[in-house]
Amino acid sequence: MEFLTHWLAFTPVFALPLIVASLGLIVNERAGLLNLGAEGIMLCGALVGVAAFLEFDGNAALGFIFAILTGTFLGFCFGFFVVVLRTNQVLTGITFVFLGAGLTGLIGIPWVNKAFSAIDPIHIPYLTGIPVIGRFFFGQDFIVYITIGLSILVWRFLYHTRTGLRMRAVGENPQAADAAGINVGGYRLLAASIGGAFIGLAGGYLSLVVAKIFVLDMTQGRGWIAVALVIFSRWRPWRAVLGGLLFGGIEALIPRLQATGVPIPQYFLAMAPYAVTLVVLIYAAVQIRAGQDAPRALGVPYVREDRK
Amino acid sequence: MQALSLSFLRSRRLTIEVRQKIHLVPRIAIIVGAVLFGLGICIAILVSRDVDVASIYDEFIVFTFLNAYGVSTVVVHSTPLVLVGLAAAMAFRVNYWNIGIEGQLFMGVIGCTVIAYYDIGPEFLRLPLMFIFSLLFGALWALPSALLKLRLNINEVISTLLLNYIAYYIVLNQVFGPWRDPKDNFPHSPAYDDFERLPKVGWEDVHYGIVGVALAFAFVWWVIERSRFGIQSRFVSANPRMVVAIGLPLSVITLISALSSGALAGMAGFTIAAATEGRLTFQLAGGYGFSGIVIAFLSGNRPLIVVVVAFLMGGLYVAGESMKVFYSLPDALVGLFQAIIVLSVTASEFFARYRLRMAHYERV
Repeated sequence: MEFLTHWLAFTPVFALPLIVASLGLIVNERAGLLNLGAEGIMLCGALVGVAAFLEFDGNAALGFIFAILTGTFLGFCFGFFVVVLRTNQVLTGITFVFLGAGLTGLIGIPWVNKAFSAIDPIHIPYLTGIPVIGRFFFGQDFIVYITIGLSILVWRFLYHTRTGLRMRAVGENPQAADAAGINVGGYRLLAASIGGAFIGLAGGYLSLVVAKIFVLDMTQGRGWIAVALVIFSRWRPWRAVLGGLLFGGIEALIPRLQATGVPIPQYFLAMAPYAVTLVVLIYAAVQIRAGQDAPRALGVPYVREDRK
Repeated sequence: MQALSLSFLRSRRLTIEVRQKIHLVPRIAIIVGAVLFGLGICIAILVSRDVDVASIYDEFIVFTFLNAYGVSTVVVHSTPLVLVGLAAAMAFRVNYWNIGIEGQLFMGVIGCTVIAYYDIGPEFLRLPLMFIFSLLFGALWALPSALLKLRLNINEVISTLLLNYIAYYIVLNQVFGPWRDPKDNFPHSPAYDDFERLPKVGWEDVHYGIVGVALAFAFVWWVIERSRFGIQSRFVSANPRMVVAIGLPLSVITLISALSSGALAGMAGFTIAAATEGRLTFQLAGGYGFSGIVIAFLSGNRPLIVVVVAFLMGGLYVAGESMKVFYSLPDALVGLFQAIIVLSVTASEFFARYRLRMAHYERV
C-alpha cells in the first residue's frame, strides 16, 4: 500500500518533463517543424535554470524563467536555421543535441554537480492526507499545477484560436496557407520559439525539481522519449499528458523496485524507459495506420520558389 | 521570389532568388569559407578559455599533422572514423537516417568480445571470427529499426537512437556484471589475448586495422560509385516514387543499405576493441555516432571524400584529447566543435542555392 502511495506520488514528478517537452514538440510539429534537438535544448534549459537558481540565491521562479528564456532562444535558433536558412531539419536537430551537450559542458563548469535543497511540494490540509491518491493529486509542487494549465492552454491555442488554426494550416498545407496570405515562415518561427520555451521549461524542471542538481548529460534521452511521445499522442495535447504519465509512472517505478529488492539487474531496469518507448512506438504504429494523424507537411521545408 | 521578413524598408526588400546553376569553384569556396568560419568560432571559444593562439596552432597543426608521430596517431584515430563515416554515408544515401551507429558499434564490440571471452574457435581463427562477429552483431542491431521503418513506417531516427541507449546499458550490464575483469576488478572485460589483437604494422601504433579500412573503403566505393546497386540507390534519394514506379525493390535497397551501415559500424567497433583498447570498455564508443554523421554530411556521402574528412577529423580528435587534458576542457568539446562546423556548413548551403538581392518595389 505504501509502495503504491509512493509510486503514485512520484509519478507526476517524473512525468512532467516529458509532458511539458512533448507539449512544446506538439506546437512545433503542428506547424510542420520536426525538432529533434529537444534533447539538447532541454539540457541547456536544465543548466541555465540551475545557474540562475544558484546565482539568484535560490529563487526558483527566476530559475524557471531563465530556463524558459533559454529554450525560447534555442528554439528560435533552430527555427532560424530550418526556416530562414532552409537547412535539413533532421540534421539540424541532431546537431542541436550535440551543440547542447557541448555548450553545457563548456559553460556549465561553475554549476555542475552542486546539489541544493528541494522546492517543497504544496501541502493542502486534509486533501493531501487522503490515502493512496492524496499525494498524487494534491501533494505536488506548483509547476505540476501550472503544467495542467499549460496543457489546457496549448489545446485551446491550437484548436480554438485563429493563430492556432493558422499554425496548424502551415503544418498541414503550407502552399494553401501561403496562398491564403499566411506568413508561413513567420508562423513556423513562432512555433519554434513557443516549442522551445516548453522544452526549456521541461529541462529546468528536470534539474530544479526532479534531480535537485545539474549533472552533465542529465537528460539521458528524455528529449528523444518526448519526440516518441508526440507520435504516440497522435499530436494531441491531452493524449500527451496521458502518455507522459504512463512513461513517468515507469520511470518512477524503477527506484521503487530497486528499493524493494526485486532481483532484476539494475542496468536492465535502467534500459526499461527506452525499451518501453520502442514498444509504445510499435503499438502506436500497429494501432493506427501509420502517419495518419501526422501533420502532412511535418519535416517538409516550405520554399515558395521550389514549388513544383 | 519570396520576400524575407526583413522588410525594414518598404520600397526595398531583400529577396531570395534560386540560382539556376552554381559553378564548382564558387561552391567549393562557399564550403571552405563555411568550414573556416566554423573553425574561427571554435578558436574563439578556445581563446575565451585562456588557450593562447600559439598553442592552438601547435596542438591542431604542428603536433598532429606536421610531425611523424602526430600523423601516426591521427591515422590510428581516423581508422574507426573512416568506418563510421562510411557507415553513415551508406545509410544517408538512401535517405535512411541511421543515428544508431554508436549502438551498432557497441554491439560489434560485444560480438567480438563474446568470441574472445568464451575462447570460441582455434587460436589462428580467433581474430577472423571476432571480425565476422563484430560485423554480424553490428548489422543485427541495425536490423530492427530498418524492419520497423519498412513495415510500420516508424521513424528510424527515434528507433535507432533508442537502440543506442539499450546497447549502452547492455554493455554496462556486461562490464559491471558477468564480464568484469577479475584481475583489477575495474568495469571492463578482461584483456584480449595477444592472438586476439590486431597486430601493428610497424609504424608507431598504427595497426592492421588500416588494411581492413582500405578494403572496406574499396568495397563501399565500388558499391556506391560503380555497382548497379549504387546506381539504384542513387535513385532512392533523388526520387523514391520513381523508384517504385520503375519497379526497383525500394525496401530491399533500404534494407541492404541499413544493414551494411550497421556492419561497418560494428567493424569500427572491432578496430577500436581489437587494436586500440584490447577489451570491451563502456567508454569506447563515445562520440563516434555523431562523428560518423558529421563526416558523411561534410563529404556529401562520397566514399573518397569520407576518407579525407575522417583523416582531418582524426586530427580534431587527437588535438581535442590533449586539449582536454592540458586545459581541463569538457569531454563534449569535440562534439561541440563538430556541431559548430556542421551548422556553419549547412547554413552556407543556403548561399550556394540562393542569391540574395535587393529588389526595388514601387510603393503601392
